[in-house]
Amino acid sequence: MAIATSYYLEDMDTRELPRRFLDVFSTILSHTNYALVLDAASRMKARCGRCADTCPVYQVTGEQRDIPCERSELLLQVYRRYFTFGGNLRARLGDTFVLDDAYIERMAEDYYRCTACRRCKLECPLGVDHGLITHLARWILAEVGLTPKALVVATREQLDGKSHNTSGIPAPAMKDTCEFLEEDCVDEHGLKIEFPIDVEDAEYIFFPAVSDYLLEPDTLMGNAAVMMATGASWTIGTDDFDGINYGLFYSDRLLDRIVSNEVAELKRLGAKKILIGECGHASRSAKIFIPAFCGGEDAPEVINIMEYTYAQWKSGKLKLKPNVIKQRVTYHDPCNIARSGWITEEPREILKHICVDFVEMTPNRQDNYCCGGGGGTVSIDEIREFRTMTGGKAKADQIRRTGAEIVVAPCANCKKQVAEVCQDHKLDVRTCGLHDLILEAIDAPEFMIIKKDDDEGEEA
Amino acid sequence: MDTWIDLAKGSLFRISLAICLLGVAYRFGVAVWQINAAHRRAGDKRLPVGVIVRTTVQWLLPLRLFRKRPIYGLASLAFHLGILLLPFFYAGHVNLWGGVLPTWWPRLASGPSDVLTFVAMAGLIVILLARLLIKSSRDLSRAGDVGILLLLLGLAASGYWAAHPTSSPFAPRTMVLIHMLAGNLALILTPLTKIVHCVLAPLTQLIGEIGWHFPAESGRRVAVALAKENEPI
Ligand code: SF4
Repeated sequence: MAIATSYYLEDMDTRELPRRFLDVFSTILSHTNYALVLDAASRMKARCGRCADTCPVYQVTGEQRDIPCERSELLLQVYRRYFTFGGNLRARLGDTFVLDDAYIERMAEDYYRCTACRRCKLECPLGVDHGLITHLARWILAEVGLTPKALVVATREQLDGKSHNTSGIPAPAMKDTCEFLEEDCVDEHGLKIEFPIDVEDAEYIFFPAVSDYLLEPDTLMGNAAVMMATGASWTIGTDDFDGINYGLFYSDRLLDRIVSNEVAELKRLGAKKILIGECGHASRSAKIFIPAFCGGEDAPEVINIMEYTYAQWKSGKLKLKPNVIKQRVTYHDPCNIARSGWITEEPREILKHICVDFVEMTPNRQDNYCCGGGGGTVSIDEIREFRTMTGGKAKADQIRRTGAEIVVAPCANCKKQVAEVCQDHKLDVRTCGLHDLILEAIDAPEFMIIKKDDDEGEEA
Repeated sequence: MDTWIDLAKGSLFRISLAICLLGVAYRFGVAVWQINAAHRRAGDKRLPVGVIVRTTVQWLLPLRLFRKRPIYGLASLAFHLGILLLPFFYAGHVNLWGGVLPTWWPRLASGPSDVLTFVAMAGLIVILLARLLIKSSRDLSRAGDVGILLLLLGLAASGYWAAHPTSSPFAPRTMVLIHMLAGNLALILTPLTKIVHCVLAPLTQLIGEIGWHFPAESGRRVAVALAKENEPI
C-alpha cells in the first residue's frame, strides 16, 4: 500500500513495512534508553485528558487523535504488543491488534501533527513526556523512509552535500554575505562591525541558523555588533557554519552526526566554546546533545548568543540605550530554550530596558505556547495551513491580545512561523529577533561609530 | 457468610497483600534498575538534580492543578488522601493488620474516618463525572479506567456501610464481605494497573530527564545494526 501523508515524502520502499518498522524499533530499543521511558509511560498512563487542555493543536481541532496521550498510545500499543511479555501473552489470548501499513500511515501523519513542544508534559499527572515519545516515533518512522521530504532534503545537503548546511549556501557566498552585512551596517546604522572568518584559537565559534544569512540580516548584524562592542574573540568556520539540526526532529543518529560536525569545526579552528545564534532548536541540540554525543563533561561549553549578550550587558561591557524602541513589543518564548526554564529572563530584562512599552503574552516562559512550527514542521511548506491556522492559532490569539506591534522571536524557526501566523491571521505585526532591536539600541563604543563623513572619506 | 468473610480477611487478604507488595516491589525494583542502567549508558551523566527534585516535589504537590482546575484538584487531593490514609490508619483496619503495625501506630477513630470516607467518595464522584463529561477524558477512557474508579468508590461505600450497619441499605454482613473482596481486588490490581503510580510516582520526573540523556554511541550503534553507517541520507 502506498503511504499517504499530508506532507511530501520521497520515493520509498513500502514492502514489508510492518516487519521493517518492528526491526528498527527493536534495534533502537537495544541501543538506547527508550525502553525505560516506554515502560514507565505504559504502566502509568492515566488517560485523564488533562494533557489535552494544554495542547495547542487539540485546542483547535478537538479531535481525539490530537490528544497527546492518544498520540503516544499509538507507539505504546506497538511497544506493549511486540516488546513486552504481557503483550505477547495477550496476543495469544486473543488480542487482535496487529501492526499493519494503515497503522504505520496513521503514525506517520499523527506524529507530524505534534510540534514536540512538550507543553503537555507540564500537565501530565503522571509525568509522561509525550514530546519524547513523538521524538522516538519519528526516528523509527525515519528509518523506514517516513520523514517529510523537506527535512530530509535539507539534512542531506548539510551532511552529504557540498555546502555542509541546510540552505545549500557555499562558503564563499556566506563570506560575501558577511562582507555585505558589514557594509550595510555602516550604511544603515553607522556602525563598524566584523564577521571574523576562520580565525584560529578564538574563544567562540559561532553557529547561527544558516537561514539567518539569507533572511535575517538585522539579527546577524546585531550579533556581530554585540561581539564587536564587547571585544569578543570569535569566529565563523567555513567548513561548518550552520547551527540547524533537524536530527533533533527525526533521527538521533543524524542529530549525533550534526553536533559532532560542529565539534569537529571547533577543533579544526582551535576554538574553545560554541556560541549558538538566535535559534531555539539549534541551541538545545548543541547544549544537550554535544555533551551526550561528544564527551560528556569534557565536551566544549555551549552558550546561546542571548546568554552572552545578557552577561556582557550586566557586566557593563555592553551598553544599551534605554527606551529606544517606542512601539509596543512582546516576546515569544521559543519552546526549545524556555520549556526547561533555560533562557527566559535574560531577553526580558534587555527588552524591558530598551523598550518603552514591553508587554507579556499570557501564558509565557515555561508555560508558553509553541508558535505552531516546532518539531521541524515550520520547514514543511505544504502543511502551512495546518501550521498557521491550527498549530499557530493559540499564538495568534496571544499576540492579538497583547496589541503589540513587534513580536520578538529569538529563533529562526519561530521567526518564520510567527511571521506566517501573523500573515494568515491578518495581524499587522512585525516579527524580529532580539538582536535586531539591540542593534537599534546599542550604545556603541567610539571605535565602532562611523560618521557619515568618515564613511564618504573612506570611500573616496 | 461468616466463612466467606473469614476467608476474605484471612488467607485471601494475605495472598492479595503478598501479590501487592511483591508486585510493587518488583515494579519499583525494575524501574530503579532501568534508571541505573540508563544512567550508566548515558553519554552525559550529569543530571540536574536540583531541577529534578524541584519538579518532583512540585508535581507531587499538584499546585499547578489547583491553579488551573481547582475543583478537579481538590477532588483529586480528597480522593488520594482517603485512599492513602484509611487503609492504614482507620482503627478497624489497624486491627486487621494484626501484629504487623507497632502498638504506637496512630489510629483514626470512627468520626474522622467517616469524614475522610465521605471526602474521598465526593472526590471520586467528581473525578468520575469529569471522566464521563469532559470530552477529551471521555474519548480517552477505557473500561478499565472507569472500572478502577468504580471499584474504589464501591470500596469506600461498602466500607462505610460495613462500619455503620444500621445505615446500610443492604445486609450488613454482605457489605463487610463486599468491602473485603473489593479491598483484596484493589491490592491485587495495584501492581498490575496504573495504580502502581503510588510507588513509581517519585521516579517519573527522573525517568523523563534520563530519557533525554542518550547513550553516546546510540546513534552510531543503531546505524551499524541497521547497516546504514555508509548509506547516504
Ligand atoms: S508536545 Fe506540544 S504539540 Fe505535541 S502533543 Fe504535547 S502539547 Fe501537543
